[in-house]
Amino acid sequence: MVVRERATEVDLTVELCGMTLNTPLVPASGTLAKEALGEAEGVYGAILPKTTTPRARAGNPPPRVAETPAGMVNSIGLQNPGVERFMEDLDAFDLGVPIFVSVAGETVRDFADLCERVAGDDRVAAIELNLSCPNVEHGGLTFCAGPAAVEEVVGACRAAAPTKPLFAKLTHEGVVGNARAAEGAGADALTVMNTIPALTIDAKKRSILVRGGLSGPAVKPVALKAVYDVARTVEVPILGGGGVTSGVDVAEFMLAGATVVQVGTASFVRDPAEILAEFSDYLREAGTAAANLTGALE
Amino acid sequence: MKFYTVEIEARRRLGAYTLLSYRWPGDGIEAGRFVMARAAGYPVTLDPFLARPFSFYDFEGGVASLLFEVRGRGTALLDRARETIEVTAPLGKGFEIDASTGRAALLGGGIGVAPLKILGRELASRGIDHDVFLGFLDAKTAAVADDFPGASVATMDGSAGTRGTVLDAAPDLLGYPAVYACGPNAMLAAVKGAAGQDGLRQLSVEERMGCGNGSCNGCVVPVDGGYVRSCVEGPVFRAEVLAW
Repeated sequence: MVVRERATEVDLTVELCGMTLNTPLVPASGTLAKEALGEAEGVYGAILPKTTTPRARAGNPPPRVAETPAGMVNSIGLQNPGVERFMEDLDAFDLGVPIFVSVAGETVRDFADLCERVAGDDRVAAIELNLSCPNVEHGGLTFCAGPAAVEEVVGACRAAAPTKPLFAKLTHEGVVGNARAAEGAGADALTVMNTIPALTIDAKKRSILVRGGLSGPAVKPVALKAVYDVARTVEVPILGGGGVTSGVDVAEFMLAGATVVQVGTASFVRDPAEILAEFSDYLREAGTAAANLTGALE
Repeated sequence: MKFYTVEIEARRRLGAYTLLSYRWPGDGIEAGRFVMARAAGYPVTLDPFLARPFSFYDFEGGVASLLFEVRGRGTALLDRARETIEVTAPLGKGFEIDASTGRAALLGGGIGVAPLKILGRELASRGIDHDVFLGFLDAKTAAVADDFPGASVATMDGSAGTRGTVLDAAPDLLGYPAVYACGPNAMLAAVKGAAGQDGLRQLSVEERMGCGNGSCNGCVVPVDGGYVRSCVEGPVFRAEVLAW
């Protein structure tokens, strides 16, 4: 039997908005249920449950997921019990690491009210604004459809939660301009990126199978470029992600400019502890600490 | 999700279906529960990316078996896997067995026959008599019925057994204190209607799944007031809970 030698301990800690995270890994919103928390313990530097909304949402009718080459398309529809029930259940996500809460609304007022409600709870370490949902006051365009929309919603949330770290989660489209707008409106960090709008068709039935967001390794190069471009534009830290599937992927996102790396769809097909172990091996071989990797491209 | 590499014990063709068995040293295998399985995952392959959910077909002497039909890349690769496959630990909520029910009807549609083998074994071990009714498209898919001695069979094209659906092969279901069924949603809805509301009525749903551990919310089924996940709240549900 080969005993794997645990040589020198690697330093996995990173600093984010005044918090020290034990590891740079954070689950991407909507990919870690409380039933799966056993696999999260000791792996993630913070926990980020599924997005909550002002009122309960039943979500979209099935089918909600379709597999695609090296990825999947999902259309869940933000199914959740609403913010009050969500907050009642928040202790279930207490693994002794910071809890980031993802929020989404249909109006700017929704977002601001959610931020005020959530920021008032000491268990919440930071708020992530899921800006990819439709703004009903702007004809269904998303809240990150352009810099003006981003500035408006982030500004309102900043005013509603003046002291709580605020992350704006952006899609890849127009990400540089939107990142600048979010930073200008007071975001403490940016999450880059969300899923990519996508469509799957059932040719046999001649019908749409799932119209939703593409995730998984297929989107990784798009996400890396988005993180890289944003990192060269803004001063605030980046939570990078999109198709992260291995420890080397984690390193790539940090080199592109991320401080924290979100793991999402990969956690459906791998034990996230393996990803952290691979990242530790990378650091050990590179002879460096996690915190030194951010933006350290040569 | 954690996957384990397990050794293939045997592979059998049952008409249009493949029965693949593997050694499982752990516990947790019960009728109606399932695993996510794949020929291989990262780093061997990223395509197919997701594993597939399969109900346990049987479990005896530390050997678990899965029944599947080759429908796409994932199942084609599983069908060709040589020495090992990758599986999760057993997942989901299985069938409730109540010895006081005394007598049960088991209904399977197509590949939905899968959990009825292990269910029949568990019912028999608790002294519960049961009748098995199986419905298929044609004789080729119906060949798996040879593994269910005494089962009543129906095929849509009439090439084996009674012509029609599984309900055409089943007499009055109302007389059974317990009814168990697995198959496509349309079949399960028909069984729900035919079985009435008295007694233990349990349906095992077949839904597309992303993760298998409740995280992705992809495999939902409708209930009063919304949707629930079939991977953690199911895949077996009491019939009265399902809103179809």
